Amino acid sequence: MADFRLPKNSRLRPGKLHKASEDAKDVRRFHIYRYNPDDKENPQIDTFEVDQTQCGPMVLDALIYIKNHIDPTLTFRRSCREGICGSCSMNIDGTNTLACTKSTGDVKGDVKIFPLPHMPVIKDLVPDLSVAYAQYTSIKPWIQEEVEHTGDRERLQSPEDRKKLDGLWECILCFSCSTSCPSYWWNGDRYLGPATLLQAHRFIQDSRDQKTDERLQELEDPFKLYRCHTIMNCTKTCPKGLNPAASIGDIKQKIAEQKIKGISLKKG
Amino acid sequence: MSDCQRPLSPHLSIYRPQLTSMLSILHRFTGVGLFVGSFLFVGWFVALSLGEESYQSIVSFLESLVGQLLLSGWVFAFYYHLFNGLRHFYWDIGRGFDLETTYKTGWLVLGVSISLTVITLIFMMWR
Repeated sequence: MADFRLPKNSRLRPGKLHKASEDAKDVRRFHIYRYNPDDKENPQIDTFEVDQTQCGPMVLDALIYIKNHIDPTLTFRRSCREGICGSCSMNIDGTNTLACTKSTGDVKGDVKIFPLPHMPVIKDLVPDLSVAYAQYTSIKPWIQEEVEHTGDRERLQSPEDRKKLDGLWECILCFSCSTSCPSYWWNGDRYLGPATLLQAHRFIQDSRDQKTDERLQELEDPFKLYRCHTIMNCTKTCPKGLNPAASIGDIKQKIAEQKIKGISLKKG
Repeated sequence: MSDCQRPLSPHLSIYRPQLTSMLSILHRFTGVGLFVGSFLFVGWFVALSLGEESYQSIVSFLESLVGQLLLSGWVFAFYYHLFNGLRHFYWDIGRGFDLETTYKTGWLVLGVSISLTVITLIFMMWR
């Protein structure tokens, strides 16, 4: 049964206010989730006033400004700062996105920043993604073959077959979608979630992969796949504009088609 | 570090409500509502079979303000669950997944359900 409330050790308490200096010209308030595993206290919301004339336009710029100039203990993941590494995914202004591609100007009022929702927090904005990564591994995200590929060149693919991977290969595994999904919140231990299912679809669609039927059978499970109720929060939130809900829909359809064709891999 | 119990990041309380999730939870709520309503429907038949006196008592309940509000709620639940169910069938045949269509069909289902509820109520009052 889903627990809609936060556990006792996770409930928020008020935090500190870091005021901007008197001569700041364009002040913006950032409310940021803080948790320090060392002080054995509940998480808190700290408020930072940032002079917008002193920092760049993106939310990540503001976070880096805060870390450099106000509080060096502020902890978050970041790497490429151009929306391709997927490290700085977090909940900004109520929806999940990448801090580096989210413009502070697009947020009305104060900017509220939380870690990805319903995840164990390691520190501040850094969630523990071990379970999500393990789920990703479970779908065997690599090309599998029945007959070993021989020859001295790569596996060839027609332009049409290659096209089937568009909208799938662009996923950067930031897990914004999975952690936006209420179904994943309540059943994240057994439901694979939109990010992993989009990846599963990526290999189901790949003409070079020869284990399509096994992949579909592996996913046919009340929890792994069918916890998706087409809520569509995943597609709404994807910072790369991809459509995990459509991927899941296509997997469900392919499983139905497989049944109709009567393909059974369980021999005997 | 291993002995520290990590806190769970906030979810329901901080995630912005949006059409996608709100219509989804409304589908669940109306489904539960219809289930509960089916008991009233059966109760109505049982009362009818027990004779005029018991039938009159359930009718007077349904004609009270509470009864009327409940019936209006069930009318909406019926229309919404029906049309959003059709929206789900549309998804099940693999169509209408792009965000634009999802929003269009979402608003359409909501608009049609509310309009039909109002039309039904007006029709019932007029009669």
